[in-house]
Amino acid sequence: MSKQAQALFLDKRMGFFIYLFVEGIMFAVLFATYIVYTPSHPGPDPRDVYSVPSVLLASFCLFASSATLLLAEKGLSRKSMPLVRGGMAATFFLGAGFFLLEIYEYFHYVTEGYTFTVNNFLSSFYILTGLHAVHVLFGLLWMVVLTLHSFRTLPYGLYQEKQKIFQYYWHFVDGVWLFILLIVYLPYIV
Amino acid sequence: MTLPIWDNVLYMPGDVIAAWIMMLLVGPILLLWLSKTKKWPLVWEYMRTTNHRKIGSMYVLFGFLFFLRGGIDALLMRTQLAVPENNFWVFQGDKYNEVFSTHGTMMIFFAAMPLLIGLMNIAVPLQIGARDMAFPFLNAVSFWMFLAGGMLFNMAFFLDSSPNAGWTAYTPLSTDTYTQTEGNDYYLFALQVSGLGTTLTAVNMIVTILRHRAPGMKWNRMPLFPWATLVTSLLILVAFPVLTIALFLLMFERLFDTSFFSGEAGNPVYWQHLFWIFGHPEVYILALPAFGIFSDVISTFSRKKVFGYTAMVLSLCLIGFLGFMVWAHHMFTVGLGPMANTFFAITTMLIAIPTGIKVFNWLFTMRNGVVRFTVPMLFALAFIPTFVMGGVTGVMLSVAAADMQFHDTHFVVAHFHYTIIGSTILGVFAGIYYWYPKITGKLLDRRLGIWHLGLFITGFHLTFFLMHITGLNGMPRRTYTYQWGENLFAFNFISTIGAFLMGAGMAVFIWNIIRTRQSGDHAGADPWQGRTLEWLVSSPAPEHPFTKQPVVDQRDAFWYAKQAGRRMAAGTDSRPAPIAGKTIQPLCIGAILWLLSLSMIYQWWILAVLSGVLVLVMFLLRTWRDERINTIGKEGTADE
Repeated sequence: MSKQAQALFLDKRMGFFIYLFVEGIMFAVLFATYIVYTPSHPGPDPRDVYSVPSVLLASFCLFASSATLLLAEKGLSRKSMPLVRGGMAATFFLGAGFFLLEIYEYFHYVTEGYTFTVNNFLSSFYILTGLHAVHVLFGLLWMVVLTLHSFRTLPYGLYQEKQKIFQYYWHFVDGVWLFILLIVYLPYIV
Repeated sequence: MTLPIWDNVLYMPGDVIAAWIMMLLVGPILLLWLSKTKKWPLVWEYMRTTNHRKIGSMYVLFGFLFFLRGGIDALLMRTQLAVPENNFWVFQGDKYNEVFSTHGTMMIFFAAMPLLIGLMNIAVPLQIGARDMAFPFLNAVSFWMFLAGGMLFNMAFFLDSSPNAGWTAYTPLSTDTYTQTEGNDYYLFALQVSGLGTTLTAVNMIVTILRHRAPGMKWNRMPLFPWATLVTSLLILVAFPVLTIALFLLMFERLFDTSFFSGEAGNPVYWQHLFWIFGHPEVYILALPAFGIFSDVISTFSRKKVFGYTAMVLSLCLIGFLGFMVWAHHMFTVGLGPMANTFFAITTMLIAIPTGIKVFNWLFTMRNGVVRFTVPMLFALAFIPTFVMGGVTGVMLSVAAADMQFHDTHFVVAHFHYTIIGSTILGVFAGIYYWYPKITGKLLDRRLGIWHLGLFITGFHLTFFLMHITGLNGMPRRTYTYQWGENLFAFNFISTIGAFLMGAGMAVFIWNIIRTRQSGDHAGADPWQGRTLEWLVSSPAPEHPFTKQPVVDQRDAFWYAKQAGRRMAAGTDSRPAPIAGKTIQPLCIGAILWLLSLSMIYQWWILAVLSGVLVLVMFLLRTWRDERINTIGKEGTADE
């Protein structure tokens, strides 16, 4: 990237980091909401609701996807498109795995009668993890678009920018999941 | 009024019918005028612009229209309150609730905010020597999101479903248990959409100020309006996401049957916390930019640099910081306990210190200066005592024990109008008079400007000073009537006269704009003998103001260059300008979000899903047709 293009990229990166900070505040408020309303009475207790295996498996998928994204990052700096595409494909499938496991988890809870409006604990749980899952879904769509971009005759510098911005996003979404694991699940599954 | 339509009877209040008739009369006239004067190409140009001055002008224009709408609401309320046991038109009971809810929401979110953001857009990039906002496209998106929200909010009135739970939308009143009609859904979606736009503007402003300053413009050389904008944007970054989530939860409450804020398991006070964690920083978001405008105006028209520049910057930051630690002073009567009340009382009182420092520094800036009594300066002079009075009542209200008496009376109404009109609205007018040449290339008429200020400020003090007294006499706010023999009539009647004087002031201002447009003097680049960089470029500010960014070697560098009789040096290695372009996409994004909100409000789920998909398509379109595909690698040569 030329120095000039680099300057515009740094603008974009700073703007995106600030935006992620905004998202962080939004999630923080939802965490606060969850803490305020959990556990809530009457209605089910989180200890009875959470199913540990699917949570652990989903977490594994998501954290692994951050690791595979590092491969794509390496490919990006080495200008090796196969490595980028390979890393992205692995990230996509792991992310999709996470998303499907989330859906499965919700489905499982709902069939057991733990629906959205049963009590405030469940409402805040679904809103918080649901917003996160939507972020994952958006990331999956983003990856599809990036892959399409990679087959266009886009200037490499621009493709690199787009890919990098996505990487920040995906790591951020993973980071949020870490907090979900620590704040939402951990106190009630150990 | 009831209208029989086939077998159904449609009830429409008289004011809504009057508004429809007005609309149907004024609308075609406006369209005809646009066609007659061949303005459509201009409209089309503004619909697609990403230029900061043009976007800023649109912000100011629509902010001002919404300000008039909110002002009319105020006049309706004052008319209803003019005499005891009054029955003016339809404005009693729930209709009155709708009017004050609309008035408050309109003024805060759709008048004060966009007017300030508009002025920031116009002035800040020029003042720091930037060639546009850092993200021109995003800037346009922010604007159209604001307008989508504003249109949504105004639409509610025409469909006779104005929100009616106050601008604070306190739960459980604002939940669907107590207000079933769509009014508060309009409130929450209108605020959601425009609030996201505001957040994006803050991101844009911060990057612009951090990364696009002219070479040599160090932090301690930056004018105070950009400083205030920076601190304000940081406040927005923390405050608005909280509102976003609060509204998000309220949406689940109203549309999807959760019970966070009502019912046995719910906690209505949680809404109050969330709302005021946003809401109190919000009042500083409104006040700080006005402080910045006044600092520049007072310095320019005193021919002196700002007194105590560092203290001014530090107190801006301190006010911003303390602004996050005072939210529960809105909740003294909730019963949070003596510890909480003491803490929030003390932090609230602390804010008076940095604010006091600013007031003294403005006074010392004028001291020994060559003061010129131009219209912006007169607004600044009117601001200082008015705002100080608002500050003093603020300290009174911060005394938690005394607040038990003041809470929810007209005393509070008087207090916040003294602070918000005193700072924000006077600041906006000072800014409009000051930067009008940069917006249109003409100077507003001074004589009419003085009439505007005189009528407005006289009316203002008549209206609101007396509310302190009615408030202390126990008159509750948000109540549509009072009795004879309560010792309230004379004060209220004079308040109403004052409100109409303010209205007359606004009429003079509009007349001033029309007059200036027809026969105003063309202003040169520097009509006020300014000190900051915006006066370096021609009036109105061109689309590409600085081909090379000027080199700043000291604070008020432009002024000292003029004094020394030299031109400012142009930088050699300037960074690439943001890439402006013409695109209709931002407007489409606004329109789609408007449609999405509307389908959510009426729970047309299919349309909601479709418009949600359309939003995603807009993302795709944006990345696919990225304007940098054509410019990447050529940033050094082209200034586009």
